[in-house]
Amino acid sequence: MELRASWLGEFLKHSVLIAGAIVVLLPFYLMLSYSLKSPSEIETNTGGFTGAQQIMTDSRCVKAGNAEEDCLMRPIVYNYTAAFKEAPLVRYMLNGVFVTVSIFIIQVIVALPCAYALSKLKFWGRDVVFGLVIFCLLIPVHAIALPLYIMLAKVGLTNTYAALIIPWTISVFGIFLMRQFFMTVPDDLIDAARMDGMSEFSIVWQVMLPTAVPALLAFGIFSVVAHWNDYYWPRVVVTGNKDLMTPPLGLRMFKSDMDGNEYGPMMAATTVIVLPLVIIFLMAQRRFIEGITMTGMK
Amino acid sequence: MQNSKVHYWFIAPALLLMFILLILPVIVAATLSMTDYSLGNSSFNWVGTDNYEKLFSRRSYAKMFSASLTYVLIVVPISVALGLGSALLISSLRIGNELYKAIFFLPVMATLLAMAIVWEFALNPIMGVVNDILRSGCDKRLIYGFFTGAWYGADPLQSWYGTACADKFPIWLGDKRYALGTIAFIGIWQGFGFNMVLYLAGLTSVPRELYQAAHMDGADSAWERFKLVTWPMLGPTHVFVITISSIRSFQVFDTVEALTEGGPSKSTYVMVYAMFEKGVRQNLLGIGSAITIVFLAFVLVLTLIQVYFVNRRVHY
Repeated sequence: MELRASWLGEFLKHSVLIAGAIVVLLPFYLMLSYSLKSPSEIETNTGGFTGAQQIMTDSRCVKAGNAEEDCLMRPIVYNYTAAFKEAPLVRYMLNGVFVTVSIFIIQVIVALPCAYALSKLKFWGRDVVFGLVIFCLLIPVHAIALPLYIMLAKVGLTNTYAALIIPWTISVFGIFLMRQFFMTVPDDLIDAARMDGMSEFSIVWQVMLPTAVPALLAFGIFSVVAHWNDYYWPRVVVTGNKDLMTPPLGLRMFKSDMDGNEYGPMMAATTVIVLPLVIIFLMAQRRFIEGITMTGMK
Repeated sequence: MQNSKVHYWFIAPALLLMFILLILPVIVAATLSMTDYSLGNSSFNWVGTDNYEKLFSRRSYAKMFSASLTYVLIVVPISVALGLGSALLISSLRIGNELYKAIFFLPVMATLLAMAIVWEFALNPIMGVVNDILRSGCDKRLIYGFFTGAWYGADPLQSWYGTACADKFPIWLGDKRYALGTIAFIGIWQGFGFNMVLYLAGLTSVPRELYQAAHMDGADSAWERFKLVTWPMLGPTHVFVITISSIRSFQVFDTVEALTEGGPSKSTYVMVYAMFEKGVRQNLLGIGSAITIVFLAFVLVLTLIQVYFVNRRVHY
């Protein structure tokens, strides 16, 4: 009896979780499916997941003066080529990579020495500085976007890469995280390095940096995910200049430029932007979940 | 080896950036909130607390506060409950827990703005699948009977589903009665997986022996063990999860900006969106800064509550 009851319980739990999983996955399914189908299939909600993939005419291609025979293609090809033609998707993606990588590198360059000083060097005022770091943790960067925007506008930096990167160069959270990590590194390691005649500067980059790789990885995942997905700050600081747009902002522009029924290309663009992170996530799931939750306090 | 002044070089860049990029903006916002400054103007007037008085007396700002608070009050309880529920279910599974964990965490990872656009298509009143699915249940007696209450003798037309079937299904984002709830739904969809992971971490820290002890004390059913052991031992996790999701949902912006732009009739006019619209779009930096300061105060109070409870290491 017990065995049967526990199997029933297991079955019920799976049913509830599967129902939840269907709702959670619904938009991902739709995104992929719409990116494959023809406009008429999307409009009438037919064709299953992939659509019939019947050859269709690209109306824009015909309008551009090409012969009808040259404008025939399968919906999947139409959607993805239109996505890359209509919007500078490649540019958006490169911008996204450039901005997120720059932010992360600068954050590390600023945070690592500071965290080292706060955990391994004794100097007057150390506790005050650490207190300040804790205090700054309370300030949500979202909230001070407006004054930051005003300051950047005053020095004429809006609509530049600098504007996208500068506000994030200081990560008090990164300092806090690294400091906590360095506290667990034995002093002997540093003393030995000093005996060998290493300067404090090279201790930071040649001794501490390699030991901090696990913590840096977690912080890196957090930082890259947050800034790849960030829409608010780019929206505030970039106006109209498509050359500077990051993927979410570019997608938003695509949406407002779109004329009526280009859902297919739109969803193809969405897929291209969402998929890289999702694939990396699925490959390194455990690390991602750790990285994002240990940094959950942000 | 502490003779050098090397620590200055190590902390100076961080201190400088902290001051310029975090502390100075707060001071700037606090100062500008008492002026009528606009970008491009060479001077400004001090207006004292006028901006704040406007904020707390005008109807459009009352709508702003109510939209933000309603959003938080919908999203936080539901996403916390779903997070806890799914964590409990997943942690008690024999197989498949990694898979469910990955699936429920997926929306946390995915670009919210992009997924919001997909939801907008799905919720489209004419060609969206959501209303399609709802509509398809209307002529299936089993489903219709269940959701309208016809099964247990209620009048179908008294129920939400019954009237919707007889007339039409909502236009979700375009209807001021539904818009905020729909935005909140997307917020819950996106955020509960995050809470789930926090609860899963909390659950692993509950000592096994406590369950055995509870068992010996006669707590046989799963519910009693939950009430006696799991729930109280999750005390610190509850505080953390609730404050984190409150702060996160206070900051809602992407979905509102992309899908409703604060409308219809300001029903989704949340604070961060108002800040953006007043400050950046309309160049009314005084009032925008005042909203910033009030917003900061809200978030600060929430954080202090969290710090207070975490330091007391609450176990209910």
